[in-house]
Amino acid sequence: MKFELFSQAELLQIHEATVEILKRVGIHTTSPRFKVLLMDHGCQEQGDRIVFTEDVIAKALKTVPASFKLYGRKDSHVLEIGQKRAYCQTCVGTPSMMDLETGEKRDATVEDLEEYTRLADALDYVNIISPIFPRDVPQEIILTIETATLLRNTSKPLSICVESARELPYILELLHLAAGGEEALHAKPIATIPVSPLSPLEYGFDPAEALLDVVEAGLPLGVEPCPMMGSTGPMTLIGTVAQHNAEILAGVIAAQLLKPGAPLTMSSRATFMDMRSGVGLWAMPEMGLAGAAMNQLGSYYNIPVAPGGYCGASKVADAQSGYEHLYNAMMEALVGSDIIGSAGSLDNALTSCYAMLVMDNEISSVVQRTIKGVEVDEDKLAVDVVAEVIASHGNFLAHKHTRKYLRAGELWVPPLGDRQTFEKWAINSEKVEDKARRIAKELIATHQVLPLSPEVEAEFDKVIARARHIEMGE
Amino acid sequence: MSNFNELAESVISGNFGRVKEITQEMINKGVEPLQIINDGLIAGMNVVGVRFKAEDMFVPEVMMSAKAMAGGMELVKPLIAETEMPSVGTVVLGTVKGDLHDIGKSLVAMILESGGFKVINLGTDIAPEGFIKAIREHKPQIVGMSALLTTTMLNMKATIELLKEEGLRDQVKVIIGGAPVSQSFAEEIGADGYGSDAMVAKDLCIKLVGKAS
Amino acid sequence: MRFDFLSEQEVEQVHQATLAILKQIGIHTTSPRFKSLLLNSGCLEQGDRIVFPAEVVEKALSTAPKEFKVYGRDDSRVLEFGKSKAYTQTCVGTPSVMDLDSGEKRDVQLKDLEDYVRLADALEFIDVVSPIFPRDVPQEVIVSAETVAMLRNTTKPLRICAESSHEMKYIVEILAAVVGGKEVLMDRPLAYIEVSPLSPLEYGFDPAEALMDIVEAGLPLGVIPCPMMGSTGPMTLIGCVAQHNAEILAGVVASQLLKPGSPVIMSPRVTFMDMRSGVGLWAMPEMGMAAAASIQLARYYGIPSTATGYSGTSKLADAQSGYEHLYNALMPALIGTDVLAAAGSLDNVLTSCFAMLVMDNELSSVVQRTIKGTEVSEEKLAVDVIAEVIETHENFLAHKHTRKYLRAGELWNPPLSDRQTFEKWAVKGEKIEEKARLKAKELLASHQVEPLSAEVDAELKQILQRAQEHAQHGGGVIQKT
Repeated sequence: MKFELFSQAELLQIHEATVEILKRVGIHTTSPRFKVLLMDHGCQEQGDRIVFTEDVIAKALKTVPASFKLYGRKDSHVLEIGQKRAYCQTCVGTPSMMDLETGEKRDATVEDLEEYTRLADALDYVNIISPIFPRDVPQEIILTIETATLLRNTSKPLSICVESARELPYILELLHLAAGGEEALHAKPIATIPVSPLSPLEYGFDPAEALLDVVEAGLPLGVEPCPMMGSTGPMTLIGTVAQHNAEILAGVIAAQLLKPGAPLTMSSRATFMDMRSGVGLWAMPEMGLAGAAMNQLGSYYNIPVAPGGYCGASKVADAQSGYEHLYNAMMEALVGSDIIGSAGSLDNALTSCYAMLVMDNEISSVVQRTIKGVEVDEDKLAVDVVAEVIASHGNFLAHKHTRKYLRAGELWVPPLGDRQTFEKWAINSEKVEDKARRIAKELIATHQVLPLSPEVEAEFDKVIARARHIEMGE
Repeated sequence: MSNFNELAESVISGNFGRVKEITQEMINKGVEPLQIINDGLIAGMNVVGVRFKAEDMFVPEVMMSAKAMAGGMELVKPLIAETEMPSVGTVVLGTVKGDLHDIGKSLVAMILESGGFKVINLGTDIAPEGFIKAIREHKPQIVGMSALLTTTMLNMKATIELLKEEGLRDQVKVIIGGAPVSQSFAEEIGADGYGSDAMVAKDLCIKLVGKAS
Repeated sequence: MRFDFLSEQEVEQVHQATLAILKQIGIHTTSPRFKSLLLNSGCLEQGDRIVFPAEVVEKALSTAPKEFKVYGRDDSRVLEFGKSKAYTQTCVGTPSVMDLDSGEKRDVQLKDLEDYVRLADALEFIDVVSPIFPRDVPQEVIVSAETVAMLRNTTKPLRICAESSHEMKYIVEILAAVVGGKEVLMDRPLAYIEVSPLSPLEYGFDPAEALMDIVEAGLPLGVIPCPMMGSTGPMTLIGCVAQHNAEILAGVVASQLLKPGSPVIMSPRVTFMDMRSGVGLWAMPEMGMAAAASIQLARYYGIPSTATGYSGTSKLADAQSGYEHLYNALMPALIGTDVLAAAGSLDNVLTSCFAMLVMDNELSSVVQRTIKGTEVSEEKLAVDVIAEVIETHENFLAHKHTRKYLRAGELWNPPLSDRQTFEKWAVKGEKIEEKARLKAKELLASHQVEPLSAEVDAELKQILQRAQEHAQHGGGVIQKT
């Protein structure tokens, strides 16, 4: 299976535009460390900006690893980043939550973070977990608390987006404890850490420093700026893609200059402004088209990609969010995506929703099934089977070929969707959104997460206490 | 006793050869034919019915079980008189005139047979007269009609009308099925029931036979 | 943009399997006319079957036209087959409809057919109209009556499904009356007509005869068998696709043998049996994947195609039908199909739903937007614009490039979806399904269809009457023999 949004000539044209942006416009940064790193390796100062040379770009792109592995606390959770398996990742940092009981939107709490993470842990086709944004914890140590809460409520791999390097030491400490030491974490990273510079092409102090620290810590980095077409990027999809590619490559290059071979992902998030309202859209089709375009560029560079995809503008788990999430994820996955983020989100990635996460688990299942494609071989083409069935005036139900491939999983089994007769369905007449909500409640009530050892739990408490002391003066 | 279990298990796993083997062994040992049927073959098929209803078994597997059971029945049948054959009832089945679709009806036939019904499967493209002839010949309690095409489903009504004209309507229960058919359509044309899937059709037949007898 | 579901080599493999099926197994038919057509043109008898030598297949494939047009009553409604535009067609023949007021499922009436067609006429991204199945119409003339009802309620092109040939004469008369004669109809077909032989590889009397009548009438033909994986086709997706391709090609070949160059459409419909219940599924993902594979074969032959598209197994307009329909439409659209059918359907194409049709109009809009692709040009890449904005420490909102492309439609404009702030949305708090239902009601209350002329309308009435009289005198389907 092969899906190309652009021809090779078009792809080259976009790449050349990106190179031109890096050469002519470059980036701006307020981190002296970041600046020095770039300048030491051949980048040049031009006014208040740092521009890249073709040599630097070419050299840095050569050392990016085409693949790496991401692990969970549990050994069975191994993700092969770089193999284009479209792993599904929950949405990061939503400040709001759809209440599971009332269905009303409200602020996210740490209890939500616990339950939402546990739900994600229970869902087969949600592969990476990122924290929602609880409002009832001290903001000075929020990432520390989020990381501890994630590790306590899932054994799956994590993605922890850092806006600055300030809390990184505590995060690393927690990860070391959960992984069994610093060396163990290096050998088997259990988290990827994205940083988000500003668009257009602005590496502010915090993200720039965080980027360097993440690379030095040896954890897989995500470079995740978030331009908005028409306001912080040009009003053409392809123009925004070219700029976005340039700002991501700037981070990729910095990572490679600091530590050649450092694992990372291009975590594209090209969004759009609704020009009637000013709303920032993470909607269909632009989000999926831009994500797909960025994925094709990632393939061109042989760099793993991790766009947002399970997202849309709908405010509730309804048909619109169903088709929006499917659209964005499918377009990205068909081109080739390692990770697809934003699962469980509503309202342009501002709200998380338990029911939507259960629906996205279903969509992730079908997306992952799709990209496996179909195998074409003689046994599967089954010409002899057709001949036999027709010669015997029978049907295929009774043929052993049918039983063989039925058991081999030729039919997809939906984790959520209804496939019954109308009459059976009509007994409960349940909409899929309501069924998703019911399943979410059941899983939260029953799902058991692989626990941390009591010793690790105790150490976690100490790390949090120390963070509280140092960062909050308590 | 363990032999009956093994026979039932072989029916459940759809092992045609093994079912025939065990049945023949039992016959050779002089086991009561009716016991072979009730405690072995039908016992196994009853489990299949339960599992299928619970969606634990797939259609092709049920089909294999039915085939295996039929293999055993074939050996036992000559040993008992027709009147002694355990039967829940007789059903005449056919796809209506103008329609060549066969699969749904065949499924129903299989499920009914495995539920102990005697099934006369007329095949496809059966004109109203064909149903009348079969009813006169086989004296079923139930006639089942199937259609997949919206343009042929009206031929179900034509068959019911002819049943009335021929004075046979009171002697049989009429059930219908097929993707475009519905409960309201069954009521509209004066059928006695509608089976939305094969298992529902079997339950419906059991209910109607209870009423009919 | 290019999507290959199968590699070139895999397409060749499936094509070879198809030729093997046609050559070794062939088809069975009960139409003597169909049989002699094939045998007179190089096919061979083999027991009770007719087999196709590869030369016959290949020759026929070479005469099938790559492009042709189908017209609406309104001149601006033209379908260009062969251009991969993913037109959207309403679902044919559903016996049930979701009542627009009560939301309950019930039988379709003629009034529903009229309303539904009028709604389809009003929806911008619905391009082809096919009839739902009314119960309160004389069944002997059902397709004729449906065709008249459609012509009265839409100016868009039609797609008609003929399960038998006995009404063909009247259907052609009806279409000819509207367009101005049979000769004109050949030049400007108002409809394409599809026939559905049985799977596996069975050309029963009715579809075989209808196929030939359509070709002789000069109307575009669609060949639309409907195998079900695991029961009337093998339990492997690709095996089912190969068999299906063979049974479609058999019809394509027959049409070309009868009249070389006659317009023909490959309309693959591989469906699936839910092996736990026996339900026939038109669901995601198998439906979309099989369609992608089949459409890729049509693309390989250069023959226009249609796929099911807007279908699923959900029982009502909800999130499941939303993602199912989009999935099944997107896969064949990305390969390059001409028409995506089943718009507005629910419950494995057994029920039509007004609200779902409004939602599918939205999905059609996004699918058609998607396959237009994204142009890559220097101006759109906007490197200079980026440089200027950064240099001036401004943002893009104020740049004229932004205004230009905003006006040029760089952002998709959803016909239905909500894109407001949460607060504005929360004023009504409306789910999309509810919004779709209200929109359907509004359109039905306000949308006017350009009427047929009084003369044409009267003529249609006469044709219908004649058809009915003929049927009552023994020409119809329901006859006692």
